Amino acid sequence: MNTMKTDAHEQSPPPDSGCLSRRTFLVGTGAAATGTVMLTGIPGLEGKAWAARLARYPRLLIANLGELQINRPQSFKYPDEGKNTNSMLVKLGQEAGGGIGPDRDVVAFNTLCTHMGADLGRYYKGSDTALGPCPFHQSTFDLTRHGIIISGHATESLPQVLLELDGDEIWAVGMVGLIYGRYDNVAA
Amino acid sequence: MAITTSTPFYQPIDSVTLPPTDAEVLTTCCDYCIVACGYKIYRWPAEGPHGGPAKEQNALHRDYPLTPLAGNWLGPNQFTQAGHNGKLHNFAIIADADADVVNPRGGHSIRGGCISQKVYSPRLATRDRLKYPLVRVNDIMMPVTWDFALDIMAEVSKHVIRHHGEHAWAMKYYSYQFFENTYALTKLAFRSINTPAVSQHDHPAIVNSVPGWTDIGYDIFGASYEDFSLADCIVCSGSDPYETKTVLWNEWILKGIAKNKAKVIMINPRRTMGAAYAEKHGGLHIDLNPGTDTVVHMAIQRIIIENGWQDQEFIDKWVNNFWETDSGFGQGTRNTPWQWRTTWGKFQVKGWEDWKAWLLSQEESKPEVAAAIAGIDPQKLFQAAEMMAKPKADGERPRTTIGIEKGNYWSNNYLNTVSIGTLGVILGCGGRPGQAITRFGGHQRGGRSGGPYPGLKSPYKVGGRRRHRLDLDRWVQSGQVRFAYVVGTTWVQAMAGSSALEDAFRRYTRNNPHQIRSLDKEEIIATLKRRVDSGGMVIANQDIYMVDPIGAQYADIVLPAATWGESDFTRCNGERRIRMYSAFYDAPGDAKPDWKIVSMFAKKMGFAGYDWNEANDVFEESCRFSRGGRTDYNVLRTVAMRRGVKAHELLRSYGTTGLQCPLLLDGDTILETKRLHDYNRSDVPDTGPEGVTVAGKSIFAFKSHTGKLNLLKSPWSVWSDFYDFMTPKGEELWVTNGRINEIWQSGFDDVERRAYIQQRWPMNFAEIHPEDAAARGIESGDMVVIQSERVPVLKDYNLFVKSDDMSFDGQMKRGHIELVTGQFSAVAIVTPAIKKGVVFTNFLAKNAPANAIVPRVPDPLTVNYRFKIASGTVQRMGESPFKHDFSQMSFGRRDIV
Repeated sequence: MNTMKTDAHEQSPPPDSGCLSRRTFLVGTGAAATGTVMLTGIPGLEGKAWAARLARYPRLLIANLGELQINRPQSFKYPDEGKNTNSMLVKLGQEAGGGIGPDRDVVAFNTLCTHMGADLGRYYKGSDTALGPCPFHQSTFDLTRHGIIISGHATESLPQVLLELDGDEIWAVGMVGLIYGRYDNVAA
Repeated sequence: MAITTSTPFYQPIDSVTLPPTDAEVLTTCCDYCIVACGYKIYRWPAEGPHGGPAKEQNALHRDYPLTPLAGNWLGPNQFTQAGHNGKLHNFAIIADADADVVNPRGGHSIRGGCISQKVYSPRLATRDRLKYPLVRVNDIMMPVTWDFALDIMAEVSKHVIRHHGEHAWAMKYYSYQFFENTYALTKLAFRSINTPAVSQHDHPAIVNSVPGWTDIGYDIFGASYEDFSLADCIVCSGSDPYETKTVLWNEWILKGIAKNKAKVIMINPRRTMGAAYAEKHGGLHIDLNPGTDTVVHMAIQRIIIENGWQDQEFIDKWVNNFWETDSGFGQGTRNTPWQWRTTWGKFQVKGWEDWKAWLLSQEESKPEVAAAIAGIDPQKLFQAAEMMAKPKADGERPRTTIGIEKGNYWSNNYLNTVSIGTLGVILGCGGRPGQAITRFGGHQRGGRSGGPYPGLKSPYKVGGRRRHRLDLDRWVQSGQVRFAYVVGTTWVQAMAGSSALEDAFRRYTRNNPHQIRSLDKEEIIATLKRRVDSGGMVIANQDIYMVDPIGAQYADIVLPAATWGESDFTRCNGERRIRMYSAFYDAPGDAKPDWKIVSMFAKKMGFAGYDWNEANDVFEESCRFSRGGRTDYNVLRTVAMRRGVKAHELLRSYGTTGLQCPLLLDGDTILETKRLHDYNRSDVPDTGPEGVTVAGKSIFAFKSHTGKLNLLKSPWSVWSDFYDFMTPKGEELWVTNGRINEIWQSGFDDVERRAYIQQRWPMNFAEIHPEDAAARGIESGDMVVIQSERVPVLKDYNLFVKSDDMSFDGQMKRGHIELVTGQFSAVAIVTPAIKKGVVFTNFLAKNAPANAIVPRVPDPLTVNYRFKIASGTVQRMGESPFKHDFSQMSFGRRDIV
């Protein structure tokens, strides 16, 4: 396996993204030491390129960790209030790729099906930690594995909202993947 | 399944480049599954200018952001860059949002939706396309010129034909990869060389997949997709269209469920998403044991008849009586397949009453007996019969449409296809809206035969003055093939009992002492002649990628083919709709379309009639060979000539809509055929279609000699000896295999070279029931070994004298079957969606082929492999890397509703 693990602390801090060093989000998986930034799920990206990509995104406070209950999703909009930005924050109750918090189980995704754009916000299946099946054509997505398709027709994983934990505060700081219906996530 | 040359990870991006308003627009269809959705290609220079987000600023005519179901969303996997006329261009390849047939409003599957990633790019995972002809010298594949490679191929071929006979010159090829190519290949093999040693990618011989229907009188692709939206009940046997026929499900079956409240009956050992969805919407999942379909069909027939729910009016009008059946069959040379199969009275009946009496006399047609054999709740048989046939409160019959695919016909080939066909007959299926009976299909329909199969040359002589077509796998194994031209197929892993086949290939190629040690052409030819004269075999493999082992290990000559998007091509889909597949970018290196390679080779062989300059020349020549068939497109050439245009250009003018075959001519008007067997059809003039049209019987009636349907018996005893042998013993489980949505007729592209799909399916998988898994200490994410030490392989040709000699037991007794070992690995997925006692795995992971344990004893009546019937032990090997790695694979349930 070519899994590439990049500890962002070992990279020189990007000049325009000073907050990165404070971030504790996980993108990817595995046995990360707490407090490091793991980019294992996003190989091929050097830390700098990744930071540059994140720099395009706003930093948005979306919830407090203490308020989250397992399998009780909260909705929010990100990266802007425009069309197609419906997103969902959920504590899955089991470790997940990109999960934050002590149990690494808090993740967030844009909820528009990347096949044809149905909003899956109301289709969370806690028993399967999945989103779907889509009411249009029954695509399902695995929220423990970066929103990858379980089965169906979508040509992209669900765009994952990258999270940062600052004390008890959960901040949305970026996205991986293109939102359905947009040509650029940060151009509404 | 993943290979090392490509990045195994998908890097999601968060912006794409839009096509400008002046982007060139071309039409094509998806290259993968039978449905063949229409696609548009937007092409513009890589340096731009690019399009903007307002609809007047982009060629997609969309305001961004798009609303749901808007169509024309350009996602990252719909965009790529490639050369066009030597210059780098951008390409957006998107399901046609303007379509109103097949995939209305731009519906698409995950496979077609990612098809732009199939396009060759020196920077992407497709960079390992074959680009130049190669010859194996000192075991290194060295680039050579086309003339060099083809001179060797031609000289060795001539030598083989002259000294060992045309039987020793074999061709194994795809049946589907465009009319132009299959026409050229079969013209070469059948008309010019005239060899019987030819088979297609999915069979050991050139045979019919659904012989039961042929004998009954049903065409195998009679339906129109519209029928699935009009039916009250849709029977899906041996396939879930959600998994494999995506847009037929999304656009047509879902429409039927929503608008007609259609009840969908899924007959399949695996609870798929489609099965779960069907159940939720009033349908049924019949979770039978592999290979038991026939008794399920028979029990449903019995319940229907005992309740008087059969379509008696249809039966009275359209079923052959004794005299009608007998007038066509059982006479003369007895050398047609139907006659062969019916010789001993095992299958034919004297009309409806006789068939009914036979059915009711069968122990296996009793619901409780059938349910016990199939391992299902008997109530499901009653529910199914009601859904299919019970008249509504107003007395109106439900309209039932039947679709079948490989789980049906590649388990118990003859009996399953006969018994679901006779079920269709008593339900009145065929020829009416919403009452179709059809194959769902696998690959698209791009086969056109350029010559007749030389049946009399087949050595496969069986009893009663009859011959089967030559079984090429056995022909190879028994050392009869000296030259094999292998085109676009994974010969070895794609065939049954593949481990024994691998032995044979190695024996005749690599292990022969005569290996190429020179780059001198004459010396190479002399070496290879010594090889074939000493009992060895020379293989030329023509493909778009290097295929292991047939190309990488066994071939001496490897030829690079150009494919979809690199030459103009034509093909039909599962509702017989022919469309143009436009060339839109430069083929890699010196790769050439298969028809062109055939033409170059045939000329070196000294054959006349291969002076084709462009794909249209081949297409126009092929037109007359389509006459009278299901995909008859002959009138395209006639109309094109009248208009002074090329036939390809005429077809291109129909865009992604194309034309539904068979095509008939009325004056200058081309008449399409929505569905076959349309005995109520009224759009054809009383005088019949014009002279150039050969209007086949199946257009206006059924396909037997009388135009009516034959009822046939389906006695379980014909199958039970083989079934009993294959039934799991001791620790064994059933091991069946099939397609899944993400990998379907697209494996060579997606699991091997499409990072997004590779991330989803980095390795072969095996679904196993939680109880079976627990008993073996297996968890999701564990690697397992699936093995059988008793894979039956029919090893030779043999004649038979007594009627039971050709049965499985008969062959076994006479020593013609050997038992071999086969095995493959997989990552376990523990799920209750698979029936207890059954394991489900991918049908063809090239590096872990399920066919290694599939019996290589074809149906003795039809020479179809029973690919879905295998059994083996399942043992834990250890953990896979994916068990704890969140970045790849998913073990999520696929049947969530």
